[in-house]
Amino acid sequence: MIASTSPIVRLGVRAASPLALTVAAFLFFAGHNRPGGGFAAGLVLGAVVALRTMAGLQRPTHATGLLTAGGIVAGLVALAPVVVGSPLLDQAVVETTVPALGKIKAGTALVFDAGVVLVVVGMVIAVLDGLGAEPLSQPSSPPVRRGHP
Amino acid sequence: MSAVVAVIVVGPLVAAMCGLLSSRHEVVRDIITMGSLAVVTGLAAWLLVVVNTDGPVAVRVGGWDPGLGIVLVADLFAALILLVATATILLVELFAIGQRRSAWGADPRLAGPILLVLTGGVVLAILTGDLFTLFVAFELILVSSYVLLTHQGQRGQIRSGMTYVVMNLFASTLFLVGVAFVYSATGTVNLALLAERIPALDDGLRMGIGLWFLVVFGTKAAIFPLFSWLPDSYPTAPTTITAVFAGLLTKIGVYALIRFHVLTGMDALGPVLLVLAGLTMLVGVAGALAQDDVKRILSFHIVSQIGYMLMGLGLFTVAGVAGAILFLVHQIPIKTVLFLVGGMIEVEAGTSALDRVSGLAARRGFIALMFALSALSLAGLPPFSGFVAKLALVDAGIDAVAIPIVVVALVGSILTLLSMAKIWLGVFWGSPVANGAGVPPAGSADLRPAGRRLMSVATATAVTATLAIAVFAGPLWEMSQRAATDLIDPTSYVAEVLG
Repeated sequence: MIASTSPIVRLGVRAASPLALTVAAFLFFAGHNRPGGGFAAGLVLGAVVALRTMAGLQRPTHATGLLTAGGIVAGLVALAPVVVGSPLLDQAVVETTVPALGKIKAGTALVFDAGVVLVVVGMVIAVLDGLGAEPLSQPSSPPVRRGHP
Repeated sequence: MSAVVAVIVVGPLVAAMCGLLSSRHEVVRDIITMGSLAVVTGLAAWLLVVVNTDGPVAVRVGGWDPGLGIVLVADLFAALILLVATATILLVELFAIGQRRSAWGADPRLAGPILLVLTGGVVLAILTGDLFTLFVAFELILVSSYVLLTHQGQRGQIRSGMTYVVMNLFASTLFLVGVAFVYSATGTVNLALLAERIPALDDGLRMGIGLWFLVVFGTKAAIFPLFSWLPDSYPTAPTTITAVFAGLLTKIGVYALIRFHVLTGMDALGPVLLVLAGLTMLVGVAGALAQDDVKRILSFHIVSQIGYMLMGLGLFTVAGVAGAILFLVHQIPIKTVLFLVGGMIEVEAGTSALDRVSGLAARRGFIALMFALSALSLAGLPPFSGFVAKLALVDAGIDAVAIPIVVVALVGSILTLLSMAKIWLGVFWGSPVANGAGVPPAGSADLRPAGRRLMSVATATAVTATLAIAVFAGPLWEMSQRAATDLIDPTSYVAEVLG
């Protein structure tokens, strides 16, 4: 792939990655009351993974693990309020004052969103894995059936 | 009760994730899949009992008001279909575990978890109380069914999978546009609020909405002339997958059609629905007569039978809608059973083409018996469940003085019997030929006796369940009538959701 042999692309992606991660973190926390949230943050993270994969900086792995872990976390957080008699997907909100940041309001919806992030990133990795796992130049071998999508 | 509804909706999805995680351990995976399906079925039965005595249950997700948030509603109609649907999936999964070792089975590492995702979608579609969540549920069903249809990666599956997904995505797009359409006209997507606001709209707008959603749900339900994707794609999938699709997917379309059109009082569309119903019955059964493969014949019958439910809906009377509900209750298990029998034929003979199998009745009397019972029920002969359901519909049709549709329905029944006789003559009678003329599929040899026994148990249980529908026809009919009454006069539904 041309992207993986170009030093400009590699350097650019490497430099942009921390910035993109910051944007993802911002979107993740902003999502409580403003546009953003777990899905948007997951997409930005997924874009980082996709860029780094194309630039040859990392290999996409652990798709199934991320997907399932995210799904289980989100599902259990959705179900948790039911145990204490609250409606499905209800959340507990915590409000504290932290010295440097001032008043902080956070809910268990954050954990749910974290699950969503994992699902989205896992999905992106699974797609990358499925689309371009093997280099095209290799001699064609019989397709291997995989255990995950 | 709201906890039960919550677990029924979220449980299958969490279990699917656990199943994917443990994809390397066969036993753990089977326990997770079977266990969660059994729990959901049990809870659905409990829900039905409670709803039957205490009236509808509404759950406000996250505690939001109905106009703002998602509401899950279990009325009698929903609870009844929910139980039938989950029980059917449970039996298919039992069959699938038995079929594991044959070449006709689905890849179990993926099929189990994705089947649970599909279950989650079906359950959500049944229980949801608003139009947009219904759209999400349909998407969940579509994506998981596409994976199930094509995951073996055979040429035919990919080709017909394309038709399937393109047609259904097109319908989904129309659905989404329709939701926006409804929202701009009424200011809500909540079904209970829509039941109050849509009848108040002026006639042109109301009919526009009704026809729009007739196209959307009609494509999902495979009514004439929107069924072309179905007979092509279903037969290519592994048997257990086709059985689930046949039993559930189109029926969820019919369920949504009944739910939406009756709740919002689209009585004026009755004649259109009746004409479409008649055409669906006749075109479907004519297509079935022209086929020469068991699974293709059965696929065309899915289309044909949809016409009967549409007929009940089109009458827009309590008896008609109750008939459609009873037909739905009969149709979900019977269609699944027929495809399971088709799968057993495939495993035994190596093919389901009529001209390459013969004399199976002599070699495998059990399969012949299972097929005979369910085929007679499908055709609507007494004393089977199909007879009860069709009698209810014909009775409702005569009451509503809709004689042409009654005649078409009866002709359709006779033709159904004819094409079932065609399968019987082709597959079960004649001189037994070892393995038909077909080549036994690679892997059918290592089907363990225990696996074959499990497949038989699953099929026999499902056939028994359809016989039970005929036996308990009285209480079921009474229940369907109450469900239909609540749909036509949605006061109690609206009160429970908004109250």
